[in-house]
Amino acid sequence: MLGRGLKRKLSDYEENVAGLSSAFDSSRNLPYPLKRQLVLNMCLTKLQTYKMLVEPNLHRSVLIANTVRQIQEEMRQESSQPINVCTGITPSSHSYTGMESSGISLQLPSGISQQESNCCDLRSFPENTGLKLEDDRQDLKGAECVFGSFEISNSTSYLKDLAIDDIFEDIDTSMYDSDFCCPPLMPPRPPPICRTDLSELDHIMEILVGS
Amino acid sequence: MGEDTDTRKINHSFLRDHNYVTEADIISTVEFNHTGELLATGDKGGRVVIFQREPESKNEPYSQGEYNVYSTFQSHEPEFDYLKSLEIEEKINKIKWLPQQNAAHSLLSTNDKTIKLWKITERDKRPEGYNLKDEEGKLKDLSTVTSLQVPVLKPMDLMVEVTPRRIFANGHTYHVNSISVNSDCETYMSADDLRINLWHLAITDRSFNIVDIKPANMEDLTEVITASEFHPHHCNLFVYSSSKGSLRLCDMRASALCDKHSKLYEEPEDPSNRSFFSEIISSVSDVKFSHSGRYMLTRDYLTVKVWDLNMETKPVETYQVHDYLRSKLCSLYENDCIFDKFECAWNGSDSVIMTGAYNNFFRMFDRNTKRDVTLEASRESSKPRAILKPRRVCVGGKRRKDDISVDSLDFTKKILHTAWHPTENIIAIAATNNLYIFQDKVNSEMH
Repeated sequence: MLGRGLKRKLSDYEENVAGLSSAFDSSRNLPYPLKRQLVLNMCLTKLQTYKMLVEPNLHRSVLIANTVRQIQEEMRQESSQPINVCTGITPSSHSYTGMESSGISLQLPSGISQQESNCCDLRSFPENTGLKLEDDRQDLKGAECVFGSFEISNSTSYLKDLAIDDIFEDIDTSMYDSDFCCPPLMPPRPPPICRTDLSELDHIMEILVGS
Repeated sequence: MGEDTDTRKINHSFLRDHNYVTEADIISTVEFNHTGELLATGDKGGRVVIFQREPESKNEPYSQGEYNVYSTFQSHEPEFDYLKSLEIEEKINKIKWLPQQNAAHSLLSTNDKTIKLWKITERDKRPEGYNLKDEEGKLKDLSTVTSLQVPVLKPMDLMVEVTPRRIFANGHTYHVNSISVNSDCETYMSADDLRINLWHLAITDRSFNIVDIKPANMEDLTEVITASEFHPHHCNLFVYSSSKGSLRLCDMRASALCDKHSKLYEEPEDPSNRSFFSEIISSVSDVKFSHSGRYMLTRDYLTVKVWDLNMETKPVETYQVHDYLRSKLCSLYENDCIFDKFECAWNGSDSVIMTGAYNNFFRMFDRNTKRDVTLEASRESSKPRAILKPRRVCVGGKRRKDDISVDSLDFTKKILHTAWHPTENIIAIAATNNLYIFQDKVNSEMH
């Protein structure tokens, strides 16, 4: 006899639903940039987790890194479109005159972002790693610090010092090279004001890039 | 394609259920031998269990086809690589049977790094009556030996002996995902994430690297090898699949290092289905040549595809395994299910294909009638010799009786490993730590 009429227990039911109810699958009407941001955050969190493993799964790491590359490429293409549009649309949001004078326009969204710019993703980066920033202005510093430390870690050839078949070769950091240091969006050097935050950020970066 | 399948065609009566308990018991591979008489499973605990099909018995007509445990042995042990400070899991990634050459059976088993060749022999007689040794094998006191006798073979209880014949170590830096025995019966290959090695079955201290896709700078790495197999008839041909969804057919006659493929099978991406996860779901998790050698079967996250060796531009057939998950990809990415490596299998005549899904469901596609069926491997609904009822997953409102909704699928119960008997309609399904063997009802009634 087959288990005809056997009903699934309610508890099983709920568990399964809970297993799949997260993120935005249920609310598919989220704006595209926010969706993309969610996916990017998830990717970075996963990469970070994998990097703590002694021997990360290369197949997964490559797939996730490619997803990050794809999203960043998409964002870079969008941000390479005229930036002035940003400042035009949202005069109410914070803008930094100091930055603008050097020909850079940075928009930091308050609350849920409607803006698509690289700095908004970078802002989520410190958040992602558990670093909570006080306000938008500090936020900007945070973002710049991330820029800065990325630049630092890029200049040191942390991967090249390692043996050919070292476990760390599984870690792909190339995505930080091109996109996070996107020249039109960042000052050439991190402002000295960042120094205080640097140790903490360095620590995060150590985890992220595994240096 | 309708789900209402001709159940006469693919109905399978339940025959056996082996129920285990712990994590180490999770089955990680299933493989029939070339005659189908033996079935081997490997598990996360490094064990190999071999099942043997019982011969037909006059007293119990139903016993024909039943598989019973024949031998169990520990193939791999957990190891520690002290140079790299790495733990090497004992989990059996793949098992491949060698074609039988004599009374003994042989199989290859592999974990992440080391491949082993095992010989399985039977012994049901033992010699008795030696002149100089007693029954325990100890030398007799020569003064007690007064006459000569001829030793005789006496029957004894059947003993299955499994002995390691070769250990092929140190060939892989990354995780071995496939092994495949060549049709020349002398060589085999092993593939990891970035390289494929060719070994001679008798030589353990060297292998030839036949594919190497490792970039000079690991930062440039965007693609890995996911599966690989030799052509069933042409010993010079093999195929490997990639994480970017392509297949590369290589000819070892072309050059020693097959970095340059002979044929590249790739389907252009459908722009209407583009998402953040397009590349992840197109990653090929398994590739299998048809028995005829004419086609290749590939599995990616949502589909199974049949490729004609003569057509590189697109698959000749594409079947949706669980298309209702397309809207759930983000959650499946979040909980890592999207990286599950489902395998696929051909039936003996290459007319039906089979692959696993979630919720202990598995799917079969009849290539001729284009019909498909969803079946469930579960202890609750299966009793010995019961007929499997087709299952249906409903999307949206129109839910029929006995339908299961997408939201109530259990994603922890996944059928990744399946195997089809080489000639008969008998299938083996690994559902976590249970092995189910189903047999075509029509077939079993004929006996």
